[in-house]
Amino acid sequence: MISDRVKSNLKRTFFQSLLPKIGLVLLVSIILMATFAPLLATHDPTRTGYYDEQGAEYPPIGHEYTGSIAEDGEIVEITVEPTSEHILGTNNVGQDVYSRFLYGARVSLLVGVLGTIMALAIGVPVGLIAGYYGGRVDDALMRVADTMLAFPALVLALALIGVFGESPVMVPDPFVMIGLADGMPEAIPIPGTVTIVVGLVSWVWFARVARGEALAIRNEEYVKAAKSFGTSDRTILLQHVLPNSLTPIIVLATIQIAVIILLEASLAYLGFSGTTLSWGYEIERGQDVLRTRPWVSMFPGIGIVLTVIGVNLLGDWFRDALDPNIEGEGR
Amino acid sequence: MKGANTTSMDRRTLLKLTGAAGATTGLSAIAGCLGDEDPAGDVDELTVTLSQFPDTIDPLDHITGDYFDIYDHIYEPLFDFEPGEGIFPRVVDDWEIQEGEGATELYIRDDVEFHNGDDLTAEDIAWTIDRTVDPDMGVVSDIGSFGLGSIEGAEALDETTVQVNYEAAPGLAEFEFGNYARALNMEWAIENHDAENEEISGAEAEDFNGTGPYEVVEFTSGEQIVVERFDDYWGQEPPFERVVFNADGESSGRVSSLEAGETDLTINILPEDVTTVREADDVEIRQVTSFRNIFCPMKNTVEPFDSQEFRQAMNYAVDNEGIVDEILNGFGEPRGQPIAPGINGFNEDIEPYEQDLGTAESLVEESGYGGVEIELTVPQGRYLNDAEVGETVADQIDQLDNVDCEANVVDFGIVSDANSAGVDPDEFEIPFYLIGWGTITGDTDYGVQGFFTIPDNPARTFDDEELSDEIIESQEIEDPDERREQLEYVNELAHEKAPFVFLHTQESIYGVREDIQWDPREDETVYLWEMET
Amino acid sequence: MNVGKFLLRRVLQGIFVIWGVVTIMFGLRAVSPGDPATLMLGEGATQELIEHVREQEGLNEPIYVQYFDYLQGLIVGDFGYSWRSNREVEAMVIERIPATVELAVVATIVAVVIAIPLGVISATRRNQPSDYGATMFSLLGISTPNFWLGLMLILLFGVWIGVLPTGRRAVGFGEAMVTLVQYGSATGLITWLQHIALPAITLGTYFTALITRLTRSGMIDELGKPYVTASRAKGLPNVLVRYKHVLRNTMIPIITVLGLQMGTLMGGAVITETVFNWPGLGLRLIDALDARDWPLMQGIVVFIAIAFVTINIFVDAIYSYLNPQVNE
Repeated sequence: MISDRVKSNLKRTFFQSLLPKIGLVLLVSIILMATFAPLLATHDPTRTGYYDEQGAEYPPIGHEYTGSIAEDGEIVEITVEPTSEHILGTNNVGQDVYSRFLYGARVSLLVGVLGTIMALAIGVPVGLIAGYYGGRVDDALMRVADTMLAFPALVLALALIGVFGESPVMVPDPFVMIGLADGMPEAIPIPGTVTIVVGLVSWVWFARVARGEALAIRNEEYVKAAKSFGTSDRTILLQHVLPNSLTPIIVLATIQIAVIILLEASLAYLGFSGTTLSWGYEIERGQDVLRTRPWVSMFPGIGIVLTVIGVNLLGDWFRDALDPNIEGEGR
Repeated sequence: MKGANTTSMDRRTLLKLTGAAGATTGLSAIAGCLGDEDPAGDVDELTVTLSQFPDTIDPLDHITGDYFDIYDHIYEPLFDFEPGEGIFPRVVDDWEIQEGEGATELYIRDDVEFHNGDDLTAEDIAWTIDRTVDPDMGVVSDIGSFGLGSIEGAEALDETTVQVNYEAAPGLAEFEFGNYARALNMEWAIENHDAENEEISGAEAEDFNGTGPYEVVEFTSGEQIVVERFDDYWGQEPPFERVVFNADGESSGRVSSLEAGETDLTINILPEDVTTVREADDVEIRQVTSFRNIFCPMKNTVEPFDSQEFRQAMNYAVDNEGIVDEILNGFGEPRGQPIAPGINGFNEDIEPYEQDLGTAESLVEESGYGGVEIELTVPQGRYLNDAEVGETVADQIDQLDNVDCEANVVDFGIVSDANSAGVDPDEFEIPFYLIGWGTITGDTDYGVQGFFTIPDNPARTFDDEELSDEIIESQEIEDPDERREQLEYVNELAHEKAPFVFLHTQESIYGVREDIQWDPREDETVYLWEMET
Repeated sequence: MNVGKFLLRRVLQGIFVIWGVVTIMFGLRAVSPGDPATLMLGEGATQELIEHVREQEGLNEPIYVQYFDYLQGLIVGDFGYSWRSNREVEAMVIERIPATVELAVVATIVAVVIAIPLGVISATRRNQPSDYGATMFSLLGISTPNFWLGLMLILLFGVWIGVLPTGRRAVGFGEAMVTLVQYGSATGLITWLQHIALPAITLGTYFTALITRLTRSGMIDELGKPYVTASRAKGLPNVLVRYKHVLRNTMIPIITVLGLQMGTLMGGAVITETVFNWPGLGLRLIDALDARDWPLMQGIVVFIAIAFVTINIFVDAIYSYLNPQVNE
């Protein structure tokens, strides 16, 4: 499926430009960070109450925070020094920002990948069938796809959350299970409904690409030949059409991971995700304290940007190397 | 005016004596000429930024919240209510309890006019009260079921006399109608809005018609409402010619507007933003301990909350002192009973539960629910740092060795539904949630009746005969001192039975232009007529 | 295929799409938990009254009857009444359109004005510093969540530098123009610009980045085509070739992609309006979601779908005009 030509193209474009290297480094570091979060974290990311003795949140290293508290009805000014215990400071509920930054990467990446798989699983078959059979089937399926494009993801998310609940899925942590990371959470919640929603709103893009490829391939001589031998449609689709559509689908999938990570962050920001251990949610939490404790929303935002840049650079690399014809990208 | 301090008097006298008042007028005239250049330059205009814009224009539709800060100026209350002191004449001049009849006669002023020019009559008031309490006739709201819960109806005896009928002690009824009685123009409301069956709705200035000191001149749904002095107002001329109300859901946004001079008064400032306001020019922070308690109800018709030991354990697990200091930056007081200080029936002798993990864990063991997993549902953006408070409470409970607790942060609507879903285990899914309640009538009954009484109260959150009976008993005691003692006992009983995880009483924090003389009220209401510049 | 026939086909398809959106919304409402009558009346309603409302609103009818009633209403422009505020949904949608349109238009203008020159520069000076700059910018632009960008802009321009207001629409464009024309005062227009600046940048950044990328890659493709080399050989000036032919050919696919991205723009508007408290359709949608005000939610979503479909038919019309040999 991956030919030598593809391999050599990938290699060539990788060494031609600096960008794919940056992308790979970014992405690998974030994946490592997410994977080894329990070992790298300094505190349980869900544990609240890390405040200094005046009851105030710690600023990140290198910053000092001045603020006001009420004492017996009087407002007094306080100054808070950073501590090496919490290098990125603590958030509004006194959680360690650094540890939450690490764990946030897990949720973002998991939802990004699972959502994309979900979109693939729906979109590719729909697109292949529509393109291969053409005619009425094609028309009907493509109108459904158009409808999805005209439908705001948020509304779908809310309605589905209303029906199914937020259904967080607890993903157990292997490091804690084998006793390497005591004191860290035994499992972290992945927002179940949101993962399904981001998949549901993204499948259309896969369907469009797969359809285009199927349309192009179905008139190829070898497909016609296979047909005349009496090979079933199913076999033709799986053995000839699908493998040939793989390249653009892989490129699109890479781009879609980025898009879905952003979508998950938006849903979490608007409070529809059902998990609090998420970069998007953390940004929303920091919005309340934006003026005085900008670090609470700043770091998770940087996390999202770096991850998405990493994924996008990888997508660009694949695109340049494999040169599929994809019309734009969706978000 | 009560509460106005003497310095304002001095300043005004000084201005008069030195002729500076004339100079000010001159200035405002110039500002008036420059109106096109700088609309905010007009000195007699005030802008108030709330945290939520009213979602309905019917003045009888909500029981509490920012809504009243606007609509009370248009549809004025019939009485002046002073937190902790009682009610005073306003539209109602005088009133008399009809001993033994379950009724009070209200005598209203004969010089009150609606904004459309109609005279206010006793019939208007009687109809408005009926429309509030009779769900088959008008708008269904919490005012009817909670605010005017003991009121049965009203009738006009003559042009200026209304008889209010109730099924409780007159003292309790007075707390209720003293707070929630308003006047709508019956004919106007029925003709224009079919108000006998429907809510009043609309998007025009003419869709408002009250007797208050301000009339609506401009209304942009969801954005702003502009009011101007009503020329034919019967009472004292209010302090500002023109007032603009708008809203911003983010505390930081409200503070920015205040800082930039785009607004003169804003409410619900978060503790985090206090410093910003203090550092800004010409504006300042004013705060007061409100009548609003924050707590987590535990519905005792499901496990594990059916165990009193378990409920007490939850109270021992939480560090209220720490939450107030750390999450609220000190802007609150730990509490151990359903209501706040200053409210009739507040029990001075009850101390908040103190965090004691050992006691909590052994109480959990005693309850037989060791190892249980529970979830606390928490609203976001409704109360002072509510989501943060809830997450901390859940985490502190989670730190008990024998209980696992997760917080689930949701939109307030879900919590509100949970709160009114009753105690039938088949009817609700959320037994444990964080909510706040402002006992704005100033009487304990309003803070406990809706949660704990059993008869005719499907929306209760706690099922306990003893507590319910004691509250009902208190409703029938006519002697004020005796009734207060009974209410203190109710609070003591509630502390012990722990129907809630008691948390704290929150402070109301306002950002105000420095030159506005105004003291914030415990009941969270903002009355323009209590201000002076 | 002739252009008229093609467009008619697209209009019919568009109607199908809108019907699909209406149907999905209706289905979602039907399966969503919560009794409509209770949601409408709020807490504390008597059973009797709930029954009354159910009867009145036709909620006791079988679901397909309700569905056809709703469709029938939509056809004559009746979207029903908001459960929360009891107002007509059409009015609640229409009054919020100007704010959202202003925001979307300004964002699109900003995006086009910045992105096309940037893309052209990037494509014609490949692998030079200006190309790298443009590439980095567009990469950042498509990788930054717009709500976070909005917050950071508020922090930077509103709080730290303190030059721009951080929220709320102080004045509408219409009113600003009235003050300009009637009183000759530009104050209104300046206030309008100040207030719309940060929201428009927030909403526009993703599109700026996207169009820059599309322009760059489209230009590079076009510049490599034989006709360009041929024109150059004929001695046409470089600049003329670049703009007149190349750019025009590059624009065709870009317009199509932008049409498809209208949904994205609306999603972005919802979030931008939330961050900046901008009183448009998006903010109203979020309010409706929070209150579970289904008729209002449906009204807004259906309106967005109609706008999406109309814009895309319009795009197709331009496309078939520019490029008459289009086939499906």
